[in-house]
Amino acid sequence: MTTPIDDATPGDEVLVLGDVQLRSADLAGHTIDDLVDYYDAGLLPPDASIDSSAGCQIALSAIARLRALTARLVEDDTADQPPVNESWISGLLGQIGSQAQAGRDIPLFGSVADGGLVITEGAVRAIIRGAGDRIDGLFIGRCRFAGDVTVAEAPVEIDVDVSVLWGQNIAETAALVQLAIVDELQRHTRLNITAVNVTVHDVQRLAEPDGATGTDGATGTGGAVGTDGATGTDEEGAS
Amino acid sequence: MADFTASKRTSLAEADDRTLAGRAADGDVAAFEVLVRRYGPLMRGYSTRLLGSTDEVDDVVQAAFITAWQQLPTLADGAAVKSWLLRVVNRKALDRIRARRPHDDLDDETRPALTADRSVSPEALAEHHAVQSALSTVLASLPERQRQCWLMKEIAGYSYDQIADELDLPPSTVRGLLSRARTSVIARMEPWR
Repeated sequence: MTTPIDDATPGDEVLVLGDVQLRSADLAGHTIDDLVDYYDAGLLPPDASIDSSAGCQIALSAIARLRALTARLVEDDTADQPPVNESWISGLLGQIGSQAQAGRDIPLFGSVADGGLVITEGAVRAIIRGAGDRIDGLFIGRCRFAGDVTVAEAPVEIDVDVSVLWGQNIAETAALVQLAIVDELQRHTRLNITAVNVTVHDVQRLAEPDGATGTDGATGTGGAVGTDGATGTDEEGAS
Repeated sequence: MADFTASKRTSLAEADDRTLAGRAADGDVAAFEVLVRRYGPLMRGYSTRLLGSTDEVDDVVQAAFITAWQQLPTLADGAAVKSWLLRVVNRKALDRIRARRPHDDLDDETRPALTADRSVSPEALAEHHAVQSALSTVLASLPERQRQCWLMKEIAGYSYDQIADELDLPPSTVRGLLSRARTSVIARMEPWR
């Protein structure tokens, strides 16, 4: 229908919408890209030359229709994919598993220099996740150590990012997870823990029984109700 | 399940993206697997459009996830992991396209449609299917560079300058390509209103 001309510059195109041909003059001098950008900006800030141009309004509704179609195309493409191939997944996980980052060595007994027993940072993170996973209605996310974990007895603060299920008492849950983490770490490590800072990044509703697949980026299933961090103790701005 | 008190103990499969991205960055393979299952299909669908076929999709998506695993610790905002993964797979697909370029004897802009331009008659198919397959056909028939720009902008959410960087083209060229892609996609979808 349209033959793209390679040396055309933006704005030279004639937008053909059925019987209507919109040239630059019909679009109040705007290009199709201007209009897409304006649409993407939520028609803000208001531009009278666009808002009062019949041609621009026709083009904008065509842009809106195409946007809706594009969103559906992505959904359809995603839904049309073959069922997850389990051997593909296990092949992939097999490859990445061997590359896991262990992080620093943390002295368990004696000092690292003396050839004492060590535990890796990665293993300590796994212990922390394990402690949190035993508490109902909460997911542990990322965790960081503030302090020199490689030196025995050095004071260490632990920052954990958690997401709490809707309906939980956030303060109680945060207190429980702090206790559980301290308890587990004291049992398995010699870390001198001075604080466990819990940041609640999300209060999450679970999916309805059917639509259990993640649809939107933020929460995968339900939809974030409140995403502001409630913190257990003083919070470090973890990024 | 509707009664959350009965299912407070939940599986990681229901965790939010930020939790999963954070755990995966910390080395939790189980959390990473949930991300693979959650966004693998989206990444497959997107890279199929970009590559123009499904032939290399398994490899491209796998390569993307391996890179993602390595680079997740650098992702500052775990909640944005979905769009981040799209960008990782976008780059892998473009690498694949570049690698096959020497075998192409056709100039970019004259490259023919990847799928034959099936003329689907509006009456022949159910509305939704027909419209979607029309859009699919229109996209597939765009010259390759135009299609790449269009997909990167409209689906993966890249800015004009980011597309220019990824494709190693001047921003003005990207604007020109996008402008032509948009004009022709809008025009060709018009009969499907």
